[in-house]
Amino acid sequence: MSAANEQSRQWFEDLVKSGQVALPSDKLDWLDAARQQAHQAINTLPVPYRKQEEWRYTSIDGLLRQDFQPVNEQFTALHAVDLEDWLLPDMDSYRLVFANGRCVPEMSDIEELPEGVRIGSLRAALTTDPDLLATWFGQTANHQQHMFTALNTALINDGVFVHVAPGVKVDKPIEVLYLSLALEDAVIAHPRNLVVMENGSQATLIERFVSTGDSVYFNNVLNEIILNESASLTHHRVQDESPQAYHLSSLFLSQQKQSEYRGTALALGGAWARTDYKARFQDEEAVCTLNGLYLAGEKQLTDFHLDIDHAKPHCASEENFRGILYGKGRAVFDGKILVAKDAQKSDAHLHNANLMLTRSAEVDTKPQLEIYADDVKCSHGTTVGQLDPEQVYYMRSRGIETPMAKKMLCLGFADEIIDTIEIEPLRQHVHERLHFTLDQVVTEQLQTDEVAQ
Amino acid sequence: MLSIKNLHVNVDGKPILKGLNLEIGTGEVHAIMGPNGSGKSTLAYVLSGRDGYEVTDGQIIYEGEDLLELETEERAHKGVFLAMQYPVELPGVNNMIFLKESLNAIRRARGEDELDSVKFMQLIKEKAKMVKLDEKLLKRSVNAGFSGGEKKRNEILQMAMLEPKLALLDETDSGLDIDALRIVAEGVNALRSPERSVVLVTHYQRLLDYIQPDHVHVLAHGKIVRSGGKELAHELEEKGYSWIEEGAAA
Repeated sequence: MSAANEQSRQWFEDLVKSGQVALPSDKLDWLDAARQQAHQAINTLPVPYRKQEEWRYTSIDGLLRQDFQPVNEQFTALHAVDLEDWLLPDMDSYRLVFANGRCVPEMSDIEELPEGVRIGSLRAALTTDPDLLATWFGQTANHQQHMFTALNTALINDGVFVHVAPGVKVDKPIEVLYLSLALEDAVIAHPRNLVVMENGSQATLIERFVSTGDSVYFNNVLNEIILNESASLTHHRVQDESPQAYHLSSLFLSQQKQSEYRGTALALGGAWARTDYKARFQDEEAVCTLNGLYLAGEKQLTDFHLDIDHAKPHCASEENFRGILYGKGRAVFDGKILVAKDAQKSDAHLHNANLMLTRSAEVDTKPQLEIYADDVKCSHGTTVGQLDPEQVYYMRSRGIETPMAKKMLCLGFADEIIDTIEIEPLRQHVHERLHFTLDQVVTEQLQTDEVAQ
Repeated sequence: MLSIKNLHVNVDGKPILKGLNLEIGTGEVHAIMGPNGSGKSTLAYVLSGRDGYEVTDGQIIYEGEDLLELETEERAHKGVFLAMQYPVELPGVNNMIFLKESLNAIRRARGEDELDSVKFMQLIKEKAKMVKLDEKLLKRSVNAGFSGGEKKRNEILQMAMLEPKLALLDETDSGLDIDALRIVAEGVNALRSPERSVVLVTHYQRLLDYIQPDHVHVLAHGKIVRSGGKELAHELEEKGYSWIEEGAAA
């Protein structure tokens, strides 16, 4: 191990030293054990660096240069926040609000939950539902395998806990709003989320990551999602953060027989944002659909890693990711589908399309299929292209000015993903955000073009 | 309305139009006929402002202005409309939103108020009915997955909505069956007025059975080689283009 690498390890070690907190129930042996194991793992696991395939195109050097502090004065900055500014109009949901990684009960709205539905903070659940937590915690996310998973586990502080009892259908979406408050220090948060859907249960979960200012911070998020037999979860994630934000989301998804997961992942803002999906079919006839959209411009990197494990036969997965890149924006898409030897009749399709608005934007895309079964239907494909001048000309010939024409074409490209969001207020919100961003992009581009001429 | 003098145009460095002259008066309907490769579509594209057409000589005056100095969208704002031979597909761009943006962009440029959604809906429904375009197609992406006939009717719908001063129709009749042809012709005839001019670019005479032109021109080898009344179209139909081309060469 090189000296540079050991220095990097020290960064993780320092974070653990400064960040470990007392939890309301320190007598939970399993939790203490997990935290200790995770801490040990930080001393032994390989530190992510560019020579590892998983980190080949995504450097963590920027992260390592930051001196992240744990958030101590939790809520002092909250007084200045008007929650209404961050809520979606006409959105009826069970709502949890987090501020820099800690749940804010007074801003949340989880009263009158239906029978069989538990929605709350992980901290609260340590006291109210320790047995449920002991059963499911750490079952899908192996905190001894990945550095950032270990870091999240070692520094458990708070997170989301959702448990839906067998056969229960949650009547409204569950909405989690992660507010990153702009503080003087560059702060770090480790939301640790656990979603357990029991047999035949149904729910919709929305996660939104926003920031109240342009500050530097790091969200190291970890989701464990367990879908038991015939359970169904629709899961929308919108990451739309400070232009200086670092964001890492690790999602571990475990699917039992005939379960269905439908996910939408939107990466709309941040300096460095990476999302890893690790999905595993534990039994037959499960379905996993993932749609994603990413935008990256000047000084931005967005990265999606998908790891879909068709371990069992008769399962179906479909992943469709689209990216719009501009300025010197960079994107990484690494999608891998593994079809095990006995996973016959697997149906797996992976597609990635990229729209490059500038020559200096860059995408590294790598869709992979690894198939060991012989009776499967699988496909993968990737495209990287520019706006078609014919299309722009056609629109201009109808009186539409170039910036508007380009914007409409970009929105059209993005809509294939956004239209899969069936919740009207959320879809509307995402559209508005896209309009806003693309307005700036096409205006800037037009100015650059004029200068170039 | 439109005055083209000694127009020379190169495409990929190759001369296509070689000294074309054409005068279109206000309120007139002109047909430009000619064999394949004679430069008909080039003329249509040059007028609408498509990239890749290099004007090496000559001038085009539209309503007293140098048309070649205007951007593509400015030409549209000032009333130039080209119904294309191969309408472009815009995946993801909703047909109705596209038309609304187009109409309002033109209205804004003319200093007129934008149409609100209610008025726009009334207008588009009325016009869609006129060109017998299935309303379902209004909710789909522009031209994406449309049949050939549907694309052409969508072009005529756009024309009917935008009410251009100078309507250019490039081979709008090609690939249409007789019913579709009649609908397209009705759309064009409905637009005829003393304030508007229409230029029909066509290979065949049959469109002219439905739209009576005031003038017919024959384009061959990059020039107008003969002009006349509508009887010229019938003559061409009987004798074929070789008759004219031989005359031009001589």
